[in-house]
Amino acid sequence: MRIAAAVSATLLLAAGAASADDVSELRERLEAQEQKIRVLERKLELQDEAAKAAVPNTPVVRASPQQGFRIQSADGANVVRLRGVLQFDGRYFPDDVTPETSDTWILRRVRPILEGTLNGIYDFRFTPDFAGGRAIVQDAYIAARLKPWAVVTAGKFKVPVGLERLQSATDLRFIERGFPTSLVPNRDLGLQFGGDVAGGLVNYSVGYFNGVSDGGSSDGNAPTPDAENDTKGDWAARVFLQPFINSDSFALRGLGFGIAGTFVDSTGSATTTLLPSYRTPGQQTFFSYRGTTAASGATPAVNGTFADGERIRWTPQAYYSVGSFSVLGEYVNVSQDVTRATPTAGLRSATLDNTAWQVQLAWFATGEDEAFRGYTPGSVFSLENHTWGAWELVARYHELDIDDDAFVDGPNSFANPDSAASKASAWGVGVNWYLSQNYKWSVNYDVTSFDGGAAGGADRPDEKAVFTRFALQF
Amino acid sequence: MTRYLRIVAASVLLALAAPLAHAKEVTLLNASYDPTRELYAEYNAAFAKYWKGKTGEDVTVKQSHGGSGKQARTVIDGLPADVVTLALAGDVDAIATNGKLLPVNWQSRLPHNSSPYTSTIVFLVRKGNPKNIRDWGDLVKPGVAVITPNPKTSGGARWNYLAGWAWALQQPGGSEATAKDYIRKLFKNVPVLDTGARGATTTFVQRDIGDVLLAWENEAFLSIKELGADKVQIVVPSLSILAEPPVTVVDKVVLRRGTREVATEYLKYLYSPEAQEIIARNFYRPIDEQVAAKHAGQFPKIQLVTIADFGGWAKAQKTHFADGGVFDQIYAPTE
Repeated sequence: MRIAAAVSATLLLAAGAASADDVSELRERLEAQEQKIRVLERKLELQDEAAKAAVPNTPVVRASPQQGFRIQSADGANVVRLRGVLQFDGRYFPDDVTPETSDTWILRRVRPILEGTLNGIYDFRFTPDFAGGRAIVQDAYIAARLKPWAVVTAGKFKVPVGLERLQSATDLRFIERGFPTSLVPNRDLGLQFGGDVAGGLVNYSVGYFNGVSDGGSSDGNAPTPDAENDTKGDWAARVFLQPFINSDSFALRGLGFGIAGTFVDSTGSATTTLLPSYRTPGQQTFFSYRGTTAASGATPAVNGTFADGERIRWTPQAYYSVGSFSVLGEYVNVSQDVTRATPTAGLRSATLDNTAWQVQLAWFATGEDEAFRGYTPGSVFSLENHTWGAWELVARYHELDIDDDAFVDGPNSFANPDSAASKASAWGVGVNWYLSQNYKWSVNYDVTSFDGGAAGGADRPDEKAVFTRFALQF
Repeated sequence: MTRYLRIVAASVLLALAAPLAHAKEVTLLNASYDPTRELYAEYNAAFAKYWKGKTGEDVTVKQSHGGSGKQARTVIDGLPADVVTLALAGDVDAIATNGKLLPVNWQSRLPHNSSPYTSTIVFLVRKGNPKNIRDWGDLVKPGVAVITPNPKTSGGARWNYLAGWAWALQQPGGSEATAKDYIRKLFKNVPVLDTGARGATTTFVQRDIGDVLLAWENEAFLSIKELGADKVQIVVPSLSILAEPPVTVVDKVVLRRGTREVATEYLKYLYSPEAQEIIARNFYRPIDEQVAAKHAGQFPKIQLVTIADFGGWAKAQKTHFADGGVFDQIYAPTE
């Protein structure tokens, strides 16, 4: 009995010892497994942290229909965009007067655009243009956005005057701009101070530029392109109000109006006249001042007209859009002092007031919203999906009236009435088909009537122009 | 016309001056390494008070922390740090040579090779030291999990690595080959590689991973202070390395931001007795002799090698930590 009890006790003790070892081993294995799990969890945690940390530092590369190809720092403060504009035009004149050589295909704009922002403040743009078989710099400027109301722009850019001129070439409703644009400066070299006040209700600009002739750019300056041509700079200023831009009023939100102008007091010469020529919507010259020609045989030399004194431009302007309808209107007056050494009346001087105005209507037949800048087609043209992009109908009427004093006194006049028209009036209609955000096809038909401009005081025959454009922009 | 031009010039100058209208408030950005968070939080407040009293200007110092190597790359990539206070001179050298943001002789511009404090590397183990870790040799034993950050991104990890390398060289029969083998075995026992020292501390202390943390001395003391001596304890190895974290102004940034004067003064003030006290309170070893003597009791005496024993940071970096260096040769991530 004692032996049995002793054996039992021994067995029990042995069993207990074995159980304790098992538990200890199990505990160790469990701890090892827990350690492995903790390590794996920590590794995942570190991977997450690395991924989150990488995102804010990773530059963003994007390609979008509206903003081209863009490389942007993670914080958005530094951006470089590559954009481009290609416009291929066909011109046809179904009239009996325009030279057949004017029926042509042309590359109207070939512009790669490099633009961007540095340090979140300094914008820049560089736009060469290779159209027309030459290379010129359209835009080259730096704009420091110190405050919304304090933007300092330096370089070559659009002078802040004409409303339609300030509209981007990609946003134009007509293939060629209207007559008022012929009287305002295009691009020039200068320094501009401006910005938005009251959250964009008021936009203002004041600038000092080299100065250009009506409708001209500084690359057309003589004798040196993109340089001062008269030793006198032009002052330009513009204020534009959009009083309801932030309002809830659907009917008024798209209303904007303003006034702009330029001033210079400078004197040209018989060779550098500082005076413009004016062209029709078909890009045919219909008005020029008398130019200087040398004597030839029995024909005596002729002295041309040149700018001599103040040139003051002023232009009230307005734009209104509501839903798929918009209207753009502007009026321009140029008061130009001129002088000419005439054949029989000696030195003649006068102040000539040339004026132009236009009203332009646009309507998206497919219901998209009209806007001064940009557009977004409601659909993209696709035969497979039976979608047709956006269709827009446009119409305009515009006039350019030369001061009658330019034509008085026969051969002593500032302009030759036998070749220069005293007034051009044009109406036009057009269709714009936006196949997508980036592709557009346009057809315009313009008819221009003239007062004078033909021999014997007759009116120059009407010009009829059919223009078409295949445009790509990104 | 001259009058008009004057008006334009005045307008432009006014516009340019507008952002400077509040020039009496200055901000600095200090890009530092991981374990200095507490030090600079206290120091920045002290400096702001000092600067206000001296100049009347309000100065706000913003901090950016991360692995020292990673911070150097971030500054090179464009982080507008007015000053850098990194873990080792090699990282500042990279900013000078790769980023061209400061002169290569930057280290001579402030006393003590531009290191206003020093530190060293110690072991932090769990209370009671259950794995009986006493010295570097114990770290390569089977079953010992070592926590250290990645020497590629962390300055502290590079000090850890070099201290271990130096110990291996000093062992009987020690050579480059035995040291390399030691480092290979050491990193085989590392289950997780954090990018910075603070992350490694989190792994060891908060995630409860590993048996020993190779830590900055100040980081080890801070852990004990926060967790309590009943959770972790410091083991002082037989040999370690003198870590000399350097500081410098980033010239191109301060030139652009117009902050050179205040940034330079920010670093110089680190050498003042007041700042040295803050440094000691945060468990860094002060270089001011009087302050160091006052706090001598809190820092254990250790045999220390220096970076000069490795031929300087340029050589050490190229040999051990550059792409294709010894670390790349010996390290393979654990499964």
